[in-house]
Amino acid sequence: MNAKVFGVELTDELRGIVREPTALFFSIVMPVAFFALFVSLFGKFSSGGLSAGTTMVATFGAFGVVSVVLMNPGIGVAADRERGWLRAKQVSAVPIGVTLAAKVIAALPYAAGVLLAMTATAAATGALDAPVPALLRILAVLMVGALPFALLSLAIGFQTGAGAATAVLNAILIPSAVLSGLWMPLEIMPAFFGDVAPFLPTYHLAQLALAQLTGAPVLTHVLVLLGTTIVAAALAAVSYRHARS
Amino acid sequence: METVLEVRGARHNYGATPALAGVDLDVGAGECVALLGPNGAGKTTLVNLVVGLLPAKEGRVRVCGGDPRLASTRRRLGVVQQSLGFPNTLKVVELVTGAAVRAGMPRSAAGPVMAELDLTDLAGRRAAKLSGGQRQRLQLAMALVADPRLLVLDEPTAGLDVPARKRFWQLLVERRARGTGVLVTTHLIEESSAVADRVVVLNHGRVLASGTPDELVARLPDRTVIARTALGRDRLAVLPGVVSVRNDGEHVHLGTRTPEALLRVLLAEDPGLSDLRVEGAGLEEAVAGLIERGAA
Repeated sequence: MNAKVFGVELTDELRGIVREPTALFFSIVMPVAFFALFVSLFGKFSSGGLSAGTTMVATFGAFGVVSVVLMNPGIGVAADRERGWLRAKQVSAVPIGVTLAAKVIAALPYAAGVLLAMTATAAATGALDAPVPALLRILAVLMVGALPFALLSLAIGFQTGAGAATAVLNAILIPSAVLSGLWMPLEIMPAFFGDVAPFLPTYHLAQLALAQLTGAPVLTHVLVLLGTTIVAAALAAVSYRHARS
Repeated sequence: METVLEVRGARHNYGATPALAGVDLDVGAGECVALLGPNGAGKTTLVNLVVGLLPAKEGRVRVCGGDPRLASTRRRLGVVQQSLGFPNTLKVVELVTGAAVRAGMPRSAAGPVMAELDLTDLAGRRAAKLSGGQRQRLQLAMALVADPRLLVLDEPTAGLDVPARKRFWQLLVERRARGTGVLVTTHLIEESSAVADRVVVLNHGRVLASGTPDELVARLPDRTVIARTALGRDRLAVLPGVVSVRNDGEHVHLGTRTPEALLRVLLAEDPGLSDLRVEGAGLEEAVAGLIERGAA
């Protein structure tokens, strides 16, 4: 029964995205358009044996994935709460965790779509020189590593209206992306950015993705993301408990 | 009669503010109970306890013997809430079918319920585009498709026109006849009295009175003064002896224990008063009187 119920919840969420894609349009088109701009300008520069276009699939890809999973579930749950739909779900026979999990998982195909579009763009500009298995590992790492951002998104969505959620989540996303070197490498940014970046989970997600290309150690990044997931899950749980439905 | 809802000594407070101060309430299978009371009486808090949205700080709430905070118990519960907004992206048939699957019923259960609620022709329409009456019917369909043992309806006819309200109450009567227990909160006291087996009056978080509509009316010696008058509702409400004011569109209905004194004042204040008569109090006047007296 649970698989069937989850299927219904997921289908409803996917219908929501497909039938009204305006919000996700910007989540997909904007990152990919920026990526296309940067990769066409700097993609063929080389660093550490890898082209910038290849490393950008990991770093800018992290931005693309995070932008989708950070924006979509939170804004969705805020809108559901405003219209009373979350309350209807809460009093239904479906455990609320199933509903929320469907909301998060429904965003993943779009996050993957962003990453694939970026990868295709890098390949089209001739700036991609990574083997397919490494690209698939990046995809897997970013999809799993996106979880804490989805939980944070829900935590905010439980407390704000849909409009405010958009503003708050963007206020988190954009500075985090810039300070973590997701748009431009930290090496060409002011030193302050490099000092702040290790304190941001977005940095560790990008570094974990990058490590799939470079073979760099991943333990620190994994531990930081695990810790962030635990904190974000606790925040989401507390936020849900205090949400006004 | 099987008890589908049992509330015993339920207490709840918001910070230092008590919302429920020890409420007992039962609803049997096939019984319709109307929960009445003024704003702030504790109706919404009680409904939230019954549907599992809030925990009772003290006391016990059981739906078909189970804790409504558990999803497994809520499979026996159907809820219609006031002015629910549906997602813009889902169609009527998808919502009813989804509700069936969520409740462990086959998808095919949706068709008959949609037909019963005149939703078949609207199956392919986006739910957010439905009228108020259609949306309430859709909510009821989503609740009924789970074949609940208890239906909880929170102001289900708010915003509906008269024919839609009549149809809605008729559907409740039909469902009650099939053994579903119904707990309904409403401000439309006279309408609910036509379908309610029992009325529970709540105020300040306590049950003031409980009984059949006839029993409650009989408890008060009140009368209703009915007339056409140019006096406004605000003025009528403060006339000596007036405990309730209702306007049916043509006449005002004034609940009072002192009809003679009230008549004298009315005639003095409105020389154009017409179509005057005095009747026994209706349920609305009785409820207003009970609340005014704080009677137990």
